[in-house]
Amino acid sequence: MKRLLAVCLLLAMSSVLKPAPAEPQNKEKEEVAKMSLKVGDKAPDFNLLSDEWKPVKLSDYYGKKNVFLAVYVLAFTGG
Amino acid sequence: MDSPAANAAFAKQINIKFPLLSDMNRKMLTTYGILKTYDVKGDTYQWALRANIVIDKDGIIRHIEGGDSAVDPNTAVSICTDLHKKQSTK
Repeated sequence: MKRLLAVCLLLAMSSVLKPAPAEPQNKEKEEVAKMSLKVGDKAPDFNLLSDEWKPVKLSDYYGKKNVFLAVYVLAFTGG
Repeated sequence: MDSPAANAAFAKQINIKFPLLSDMNRKMLTTYGILKTYDVKGDTYQWALRANIVIDKDGIIRHIEGGDSAVDPNTAVSICTDLHKKQSTK
């Protein structure tokens, strides 16, 4: 597992968004994201800031490591 | 949305050894199709769909799951482990 890179994407939105009002769920219209990518597709490159304020590109790992992206929202950072 | 600073504090707190990334402009989420739009009382909000994605060394997606099934990382972890084993035996 040493060559496996785990990348965790933390996207807690609580500091930006107003908390959702405690209304009945049926008043909310939800548009579920359509995941456009599938197994076998080339993963689009990205360039994101790490917790050390360094840019991290997916392409930095080409030929070097497998990448596990875990996308979290409203995560546990207390954001 | 968590800033790199918030992520840094959290990484220190629980001693994380891998990068925590911030998609503050939601560009990556949009590209990957995992940005979810909510309309609450006429206001639109967007945040990420929970997702696990495994990408191999060639940049090819080997596993992708979103929503409730992505809460459990075990499937993605086992795919990573298999991938690593296969590559080691090549």
